[in-house]
Amino acid sequence: MANNYLTTESKKLATWYFTFAAIIFGAQLLFGLVAAIQYVMPGFLFEIIDFSIARILHINALVVWMVFAMIGSVYWLLPDETGIETVGIGLGKLLYWVFVAAIVIVILVFLLVQVGPADQTTIWFITEGREYIEAPRWADIGIVIVVLGFIYNLYATGMKGNRSGIITVLMADMLAFAGIYLAGMGYTDNISVDQYWWWWVIHLWVEATWEVFVGAIAAYGLITMIGAHRKVVEMWLWIEVAMLFGSGILGIGHHYFWIGTPEYWWEIGALFSALEPLPLVAMFVHVLYDWGKMQGEQNAQGKEISVITNKPAFTWFVLNAFGNFLGAGIWGFFHTLPQVNLYTHGTQFTSAHGHLAFFGAYATILIGMFYLAVQGKNGIKIMKSTKKSIWATSMIVGGVMGMTIALTIAGYVQVLVSRAQMGATWAGYFDGQAGMWFAQGMDWRLLMGVITFVGFLILVADLLSIGKADHHER
Amino acid sequence: MFEPFVDVVPSFFGWLNQGPLTMTIFLHTFIVLPMFWIYKQEKARLESEA
Amino acid sequence: MAKKSVWSDNRFWQRSAAWITGFASILLIWLTFDTIPQITMGTDADLKQGVTKRVPGPTVINYKITYEMNAKRMHEIPVIGGMNAEGTSAFEEKELFFGRDDWSEEEASELLHLGKLGSQAKNCMDCHTLLGNGAYYAPDLTKAWLDPAWGPEGSMQAITGKSTKEEAMAEFLQHPSNYPTHARMMPNLGITEKEAHGLVAFLKHMSSIDTNGFPRNFGKIQGAVHGK
Repeated sequence: MANNYLTTESKKLATWYFTFAAIIFGAQLLFGLVAAIQYVMPGFLFEIIDFSIARILHINALVVWMVFAMIGSVYWLLPDETGIETVGIGLGKLLYWVFVAAIVIVILVFLLVQVGPADQTTIWFITEGREYIEAPRWADIGIVIVVLGFIYNLYATGMKGNRSGIITVLMADMLAFAGIYLAGMGYTDNISVDQYWWWWVIHLWVEATWEVFVGAIAAYGLITMIGAHRKVVEMWLWIEVAMLFGSGILGIGHHYFWIGTPEYWWEIGALFSALEPLPLVAMFVHVLYDWGKMQGEQNAQGKEISVITNKPAFTWFVLNAFGNFLGAGIWGFFHTLPQVNLYTHGTQFTSAHGHLAFFGAYATILIGMFYLAVQGKNGIKIMKSTKKSIWATSMIVGGVMGMTIALTIAGYVQVLVSRAQMGATWAGYFDGQAGMWFAQGMDWRLLMGVITFVGFLILVADLLSIGKADHHER
Repeated sequence: MFEPFVDVVPSFFGWLNQGPLTMTIFLHTFIVLPMFWIYKQEKARLESEA
Repeated sequence: MAKKSVWSDNRFWQRSAAWITGFASILLIWLTFDTIPQITMGTDADLKQGVTKRVPGPTVINYKITYEMNAKRMHEIPVIGGMNAEGTSAFEEKELFFGRDDWSEEEASELLHLGKLGSQAKNCMDCHTLLGNGAYYAPDLTKAWLDPAWGPEGSMQAITGKSTKEEAMAEFLQHPSNYPTHARMMPNLGITEKEAHGLVAFLKHMSSIDTNGFPRNFGKIQGAVHGK
């Protein structure tokens, strides 16, 4: 490309990963809209793209774009942290195309084939039918190979170059992240054992390894964007790792309340997962504290200009600190105790938490990484927000918050009517769905979803054009 | 003193689960205690470096 | 010279993080070794000898299953083959399942295998919840076998023109859009008759799993309670 300021192949590869991630992000929102419309108009695309298919695409696209953006983020920061070009970059590029091809095939099969007969060929080639990790087994194996290649690159680079604290954390975290995926690849006739291992993947990803990944990325962002001191940032990172893994690993117990597992999981799940918000508070305090400290140091020298070198990216990093605490922490704590969870488990309450947590904890910081890449690619010293970045941020944040509140209210009536009063039967379920609060909640969710989607379109327009704006310092 | 066991299968963890806090206090204590030892070691190291 | 504090020392936190992570992982593995045997599927011999398992063997489809409040556990538990004096399963009362109550261990396992595979091949979990996990677009299936809607007093047997619960369920699964109960309908997923029988066995088996009282009050309260 003509105006490419990137000097390392690793960063170029990162931009490939980010580009594909952004496309799949769009697909995620699109199929989310289809599912949201179906709640309001049940006949919409009936027996063409049924709710189950729209939802599979919605949540799998979510996982895929985040994994792509996470791998991209690591390739982006590797040269900065280690001081050398990434080892095995050729392999990285090859695996990128393998990964993209696999994902495109899986999406097309989900969309066009949808379901299969009840035998192992379906599990191998069409769908595994297990929420979030529906990808058929051939794709599982492909993903493992691709990720092993990525881990090799990370380890080889970390061991050859300067191994900072951030790189050390990432090396351990990414290995766990990949290894845990293996727990979700088996098949068993016993649904309790099935869900036991299934949660190893889902929980130990999003409530342990992904969170630690976010901690490492936030640390990198603070160093690059506001010049925070590495020693302080890395100390915080270790504290966060201790708290995140200390609460998150055994916090898996809150998924073992009702799947057939022994009663003692009530206590383990309740108390360890109740501590899960603590590191998220710590991360929030840490980001804002460092920001204030660096700005204060600069102001004390008589320089009244912002310390932030990338306004839109830093905005998303701060939103991450807040959104992680609010979505994963508060909304998670709402229903983590077994006494509450007995009634909220499997209602729109969970869905409300899922939306705000995935957005607040992961989407925000990964969008921030997109902006960092745009800055680097265009050789900008200090990148400022545009009107588009502000509109995109406001609409996406407002839209997701709105969806979360609407789903929380819908969940509330579902808990009261379907669960507490009617005991979760077929009739109870539909009585809950017919409630006015529920129906209106779903209308509002759709409206807020549309706002989020428009915000996303503006975000893409901004990412494509902000590098050319002339109000940055170059 | 001990609560009678009510769960389907008796086990060590089931027995630890005597009330709403027993097991978690036990496990958290086990997690935190060695940190005192790490603390002491690191303190000695910092002092010898100074 | 001021003494450096251990609390602001990176090495202290790094070692603490390593210890905590390692120990939490070991605990989880230990707990897994404790839990997995407890949720491993029982056998036909267990059922015949009256051994209560959290996840009973596949031949549980030969028995009558109910969901009753247990005074000792203080929540509802699945009761298999009638209740004994202690309020738990007596493993005595049988119930016909597709006309038979003598499904052998091999036959029942095969049926359950087909049903579990079918539940994945048809993406059930992306509309329904199973054991409370999945999507929220359709009713929870954890105790669907015990749902009054499918029982003799419910409407589903009449709608499908069948005289037993299992036949009504199998008929509905094969032609769901022929029997719309709400504006939100289940789509036709190409489920064959054999697969439908497997899925019903899977549902009956799932209702016999001890879920620590989830869902609470299942099917106990009926009638018009509206959230409007």
